[in-house]
Amino acid sequence: MLRHAVAPDCAAARDAAAAVRRFYAEQGASSAELFGCELCVAEACNNAVLHAAGAGRARPVSVEAVCSATQLELRVSDHTPGFDWPGKVALPGVRSANGRGLFIIQAYMDEVLYFRGPGENVLIMRKRRETGRAISPGPAPVLTPDQSRHRLNECERAVASLTHELRVRSETLSAVFHCCAELGRAGASVGFEERLLAEMLHLTAADWYVLRLVTPDRRRLVIAAVSSAELNPGPLALAAEGEGAGSLEVRVALSRVSARFDARACEPAEALRAAGTTANGVVYPLYFSDVLVGTVAVGRRAGDFAFGDLPEEVGRIFADFLAIQTAGLRSREEDLRTQLLARELDLAHVVQRSLLPVALPQMRGFGLAGGWHSAREIGGDFYDAIALSEYVSLLIVADVMGKGVPAALFAMNLRGLLRGLSALFEDPAQLLGRLNRLLFEELSAVSMFITAQVAVVDVRAGTVTAAGAGHGPLLYVAADGVSIGALAVQGLPLGIRADVEYRSQTIVLGRPGTLLLHTDGLTDMRNPAGETFGQSRLVAWLAANHGRGRSATELRGRLSAELKRYRGDAPMADDQAFLLLTEETRHATSRFQKIGRPRKATVAARAGAANH
Amino acid sequence: MTIKNEAQVLTISDIPELTAVNAGAFREQVTSALRESPTVIEVELSRTRFLDSSGLGALFALYRSVGESGEATLRLVNPRPEVRQLLELTQMQQLFEIVQR
Repeated sequence: MLRHAVAPDCAAARDAAAAVRRFYAEQGASSAELFGCELCVAEACNNAVLHAAGAGRARPVSVEAVCSATQLELRVSDHTPGFDWPGKVALPGVRSANGRGLFIIQAYMDEVLYFRGPGENVLIMRKRRETGRAISPGPAPVLTPDQSRHRLNECERAVASLTHELRVRSETLSAVFHCCAELGRAGASVGFEERLLAEMLHLTAADWYVLRLVTPDRRRLVIAAVSSAELNPGPLALAAEGEGAGSLEVRVALSRVSARFDARACEPAEALRAAGTTANGVVYPLYFSDVLVGTVAVGRRAGDFAFGDLPEEVGRIFADFLAIQTAGLRSREEDLRTQLLARELDLAHVVQRSLLPVALPQMRGFGLAGGWHSAREIGGDFYDAIALSEYVSLLIVADVMGKGVPAALFAMNLRGLLRGLSALFEDPAQLLGRLNRLLFEELSAVSMFITAQVAVVDVRAGTVTAAGAGHGPLLYVAADGVSIGALAVQGLPLGIRADVEYRSQTIVLGRPGTLLLHTDGLTDMRNPAGETFGQSRLVAWLAANHGRGRSATELRGRLSAELKRYRGDAPMADDQAFLLLTEETRHATSRFQKIGRPRKATVAARAGAANH
Repeated sequence: MTIKNEAQVLTISDIPELTAVNAGAFREQVTSALRESPTVIEVELSRTRFLDSSGLGALFALYRSVGESGEATLRLVNPRPEVRQLLELTQMQQLFEIVQR
């Protein structure tokens, strides 16, 4: 059997047809059979080359020729879009310029089959052998003693060659199986390329190798393994016009066709010249499932690298195996990374959820409820409330600007500090200043920052003293008991500058009192049309819902439902956290009834109110 | 490949093979020789061991250039048996005289 890989051009196709002719001539085919087979291979290969499409233009065409006593069979693969082989091909009109190829194949062959497959089609052509012809050409002539000795020598050489071939094939398979078995063990993937390539050097009598793998962005070929350190001339750009375009490894990677290398007859800039000025060898492309994995070059530093058909095939087997295993390892690493990322997200979710208080302090006559909705990617939103006395509580909502475990950990750190410091500072501005000084170094080291809104509520005095660190305003029922005020006390987020003076502002809470602290995840949320929820909708919602005798828990449920309704099917881009404080006494309800409904929502603009 | 023009007979010979590899070059060289307006064009095929459908296409182009209009007589001379069989199979004898000398 003859197997021939044909570079995708007509000259190589012609060589393949001639190789088939030589092969069948050795098998004793007649001159008519030889001409027919050579012609049909030429036609099939030319079609495969000329009609190849897309990436198929770079892929080699394979030709196989098989000979039995009764039949000659040819198989030619192509990477064309393929076509339906017509049942019977008519000869194009005598004045037609082309289209004779299929007709010729059909006329010369006894049976033609064409199989279309994904990415590759195969043409099988069969010709029955002429009667009386067998594998050996005619009866053996009577030989002289010299001729007999010569024939005996030839046979011995053939047997020696076959023995060598069998040994090399068996060792190749053994090396491949050995490597497969090793790869099955945990941790054995490290350095497997070196072990496999060392076997390859041994079997092909080579003394150097260079394995390059393509980078994940598919833009460069980087060294993955070399037989000795001086063979590391650095990465090669894969872009056709870019740096390295002239190098043999890049050409092989892009053309998918292996190529011989000879340092004595190549460009001075050739990367493989690192193997020595007299080095020579072969470069193989590594492809798996039509995707470039890398290249491997093997050869000798001096003396010709005798690369006959067999070592070339051995090299090809190793290269294919390397490509499969490397692609497999990469895919497993990818899976592992995905699993780790998912695990990190799970962990961050757990941390983030643990930050939220199990129970919120309730002040006399007031209810407090918190809402928290997590986006798919973890952010660092959280809220907390700390009772400072029977009538006074410290409320905070914060947003750690970052994602994943680091953001959740900073949120946790902030919560711990807050709980420790809250008893020491009555003024939210002083508390923020201290938190900033404590967190600045860690936050700035990782380029993260935290926005926060802190409010100290005294329900007996009916006041709210608030300070802000880069956060949006808090909303409250103004002193008139009707309109909704937005209080934004400006200040830098925590972690931006080491020393920041924050200021606080106090307002009088109307009655029945309601207060809403929230992160920007509420106002920045978008509906399917891309419109943000915005502060005006939040103000309108609060105006329509407060003071109707609803508890904080009920209000929280209503706000969550409203946010969900508005978002619809749109993805949730950011976390949402809010705290709702509302007066829950009967007295408050009766006062509301005196005031009456409906009421128009108005925003009591305050000095320093941010444009949210 | 050798091209010679004597007494308005253009002879193209020494063609070891005519295939997809050299059909383009064959057409170019022959086209430039046609400027001398030969009345007979002979393609000598005794040395031509191999011909494929691209080679047939090159012969057909020659026919389209001068044979179709009757400007010149076209002959294929001394093709080997396998080549002659291919020429006949593809009915090129309708366009060229096939001559055995």
